[in-house]
Amino acid sequence: MTAVLRAELAKQLRRPRTYVALGIVGFIPVLITIALWASPPEFSGRGGTGTFFYYATQTGLFIPAVSLVVLSRLLLPFVVAVFAGDALAAEGGWGTLRYLLVRPVSRGRVFVAKLITVIFFATIGSMLIVVTGLIAGTIAFGWNELPPIASLFGLDQPPGEIARNMFVATLYVGWSMAAAGAFAFMVSTMTDVPAGAIGAGFGLFMTSQIVDQIEPLDEYRNILPTHYLEAWTSLFNPRYSDGEMLSGILIQIPYVIAFCAIGWWWFHRKDIKS
Amino acid sequence: MVLTPLEHELDSSGPLDGSVIEVRGLTKRFGDEVLAVDRLDFTVARGSVCGLLGPNGAGKTTALRMLVGLVRPSSGEARVFGTRVTPSNPVLQRVGAMIEAAAFYPYLSGTSNLRLYWEAGGGRWPPPNLDDALAIAGLGNAVERRVKTYSHGMKQRLGIARVLLGEPEILMLDEPTNGLDPQEIREVRRLMQRLADTGTTILLSSHLLGEIEQVCSHVVVMDRGHLVSAGTVAELVAGTRWVYFEVDDTTRAAEVLGRHPGVLGVTPEPPGLTVELDGIPRSAAVEALVAGGVAVETVTARNRLEDAFLGLLRESAGA
Ligand SMILES: Nc1ncnc2c1ncn2[C@@H]1O[C@H](COP(=O)(O)OP(=O)(O)OP(=O)(O)O)[C@@H](O)[C@H]1O
Ligand SMILES: [Mg+2]
Repeated sequence: MTAVLRAELAKQLRRPRTYVALGIVGFIPVLITIALWASPPEFSGRGGTGTFFYYATQTGLFIPAVSLVVLSRLLLPFVVAVFAGDALAAEGGWGTLRYLLVRPVSRGRVFVAKLITVIFFATIGSMLIVVTGLIAGTIAFGWNELPPIASLFGLDQPPGEIARNMFVATLYVGWSMAAAGAFAFMVSTMTDVPAGAIGAGFGLFMTSQIVDQIEPLDEYRNILPTHYLEAWTSLFNPRYSDGEMLSGILIQIPYVIAFCAIGWWWFHRKDIKS
Repeated sequence: MVLTPLEHELDSSGPLDGSVIEVRGLTKRFGDEVLAVDRLDFTVARGSVCGLLGPNGAGKTTALRMLVGLVRPSSGEARVFGTRVTPSNPVLQRVGAMIEAAAFYPYLSGTSNLRLYWEAGGGRWPPPNLDDALAIAGLGNAVERRVKTYSHGMKQRLGIARVLLGEPEILMLDEPTNGLDPQEIREVRRLMQRLADTGTTILLSSHLLGEIEQVCSHVVVMDRGHLVSAGTVAELVAGTRWVYFEVDDTTRAAEVLGRHPGVLGVTPEPPGLTVELDGIPRSAAVEALVAGGVAVETVTARNRLEDAFLGLLRESAGA
């Protein structure tokens, strides 16, 4: 198992595309920092994520938070879908899958090694947000206490705790991509066209967000994988309940299990025609 | 009985002098429409070089895919060293297979591709015969270049090198000379002969008769999914009933032979005609021609594989 996994990691680590994808995710927080530095927003008394942008100009510690707000709806799910959707479909497209399988490496091992590799790079991608965000933010705005006005919203965490919560929030957002990523991975076992699998995963994420906007669906919306996407803000906003984050974590699990199980089953029974 | 490791190994390797590849009733259906391989039966003896001959769409690639566990048979089975082939069966460790064109990770160098392939299967890099394999690929310094920059021929040669890394006892090659230039074709054929001389069993698919005739000792002929004939190349060639007569008057000769009960078919090919005999000796046909007033210049047995092959295909189409 470790042999296949090592080979998989090596393949991805040497692939220029990996660095493009990670580079984009890592660079956005820097861009946001520059934008906020160039034209800092006024304080808006409404609370919620809008205030985060103001906080971010007062302490660099909040740059990861605004980066998550910006990235979590579009770019991060896309990058995760790229990693997941490409995993098996690209090998099919190149025709390398058949050589790997007749080496022989068992289909189960290929599946698991690919899945671990996807999780690894998706996690790296997510963590880059908080790491480059904290670095760029600290350079531009300093490692400061929050402005006194924040305590009006019940937010009076010391810098160390904020930084820690930024990592927790990022992990949470990363995990929120799991259902869409698992879907892209499942489709990746079924096609030799990576774009199809990437589109499927990204499409699922976007569709979930759109359906989540349909108010009349009401309580049914909380089974959508993106319904609790911003629940991490409760870490910095005591008025929100923590229960939402737990729901957001749990709601991914049935999707991940179902998509991975179908992918596993499909990949084992499929004829390799590529 | 307790088997020692050695005995066990021999035990699992199937009949020692017998067939190392056995295909029984192998069938593959794609959907309801396509019957890609239809109850195929053949065996390949250890150390022999067997051609899998058939026109486009005959089912050669599909049969090979089933032999290496990429495609599941709809019915029937394929055995390698006596082991029924299942997806990624460990017995494939002893097989080197190149199915359709060689394929690589385009963004990695030739060496990196070989290395990842080798290590993914649990091998330690470098494998003992790396230098030999690289010499066969003959890519020189280009092995360090990204595969993206390779020509088709270079990829094909690297593909053969990759398959040889594991020093396979059986080599399965699917139209390995496809798309190569004449020089490369000659090298690949020479390589196959050399490997055959060292005892490697080779199953080679091709629609090129010359290739089969040149390289193979045995041949399995396929057409539209089913087996047409299997045997040694010599047998297949000897079994031909095709004769070329060079005559002074082809129209008259065609008339005379067309009426003859021992003649199955006549195809004019100036300055003579190709004739398919139904078991009668050639001399009988000459006699008939002479009696019919036709002067016969030369008689040549068209005992080339091509004729045998075309004859077989015509038969299977008629059947
Ligand atoms: N994945 C598939 N789905 C449906 N039909 C297929 C599939 N693969 C092959 N076929 C059909 O099965 C038949 C046999 O195809 P196969 O590729 O095995 O032939 P081949 O002998 O290798 O031909 P060629 O000489 O062109 O390589 C063809 O009629 C082909 O159209
Ligand atoms: Mg083919």
